[in-house]
Amino acid sequence: MITFRCIVQEGCIPLDIRPRLVSGLAGITAEVLGAAPDDVQVEFNEIPRGAGYRGGELSTTSLVRGAIPPGCEQPVREQLLMKLCDMWCEVTGCGVDEVVVNASDQGYVPNVY
Amino acid sequence: MPVYNCISPAGAVPMDVRPKIAKAFTDIHCDSTGAPRSFVHVFFKETPEGADSGYDTPHYIDAGNRAGRPAEVVLKLKNDLRQAYAENAGVAVDQVGARIVEGPARWSMEGGHILPEPGQEGAEWYAHAAD
Repeated sequence: MITFRCIVQEGCIPLDIRPRLVSGLAGITAEVLGAAPDDVQVEFNEIPRGAGYRGGELSTTSLVRGAIPPGCEQPVREQLLMKLCDMWCEVTGCGVDEVVVNASDQGYVPNVY
Repeated sequence: MPVYNCISPAGAVPMDVRPKIAKAFTDIHCDSTGAPRSFVHVFFKETPEGADSGYDTPHYIDAGNRAGRPAEVVLKLKNDLRQAYAENAGVAVDQVGARIVEGPARWSMEGGHILPEPGQEGAEWYAHAAD
């Protein structure tokens, strides 16, 4: 299962466009990684107004955080990230500086301080 | 890329304090790493009354950052963040736990660009980030 957690700011990503975002995330992931669209799970976490900041100011930025099968070559990962970023901007109408996209390896053991 | 999640008991960090903490975290992160201000994300999450936050202190800074900085830089950053949070929220610093979880920069795209590794940010990247 490939998962995406979309952290969005309250009032910035309307409910009625979220199904298109889910379809876009699943479709692009299937296309680039060869996964079945049904194997892509998407959840939205909405940050309440006044609880999200960027650069010390209230944020309008979405964070799209994926967990993909390990071993993805970097050129493929970059292609995935670029397509996801483009899709997100097209569907939401936000600027490219209002979305952060990540695709981490499932099972990755990070440094923790 | 840096994401700082501030977890607190419900009502413990008033709305008017949050921008102060967010600005302090941005200042601290940028001063210690040289990152552009626009890259610093700060979120506030409240633990409902009676619920277990899952952390070992009432207040907690759960952070995600790019890997590749010297340990002493990361540890000083963590300590400075705890101090700033405690001062602004009006709580004892020993009530504020923190961890910084690091991941590869190349796994993230911000502003349409793959993030560079720490120390490999070129002038072009900084110019883009400042736009």
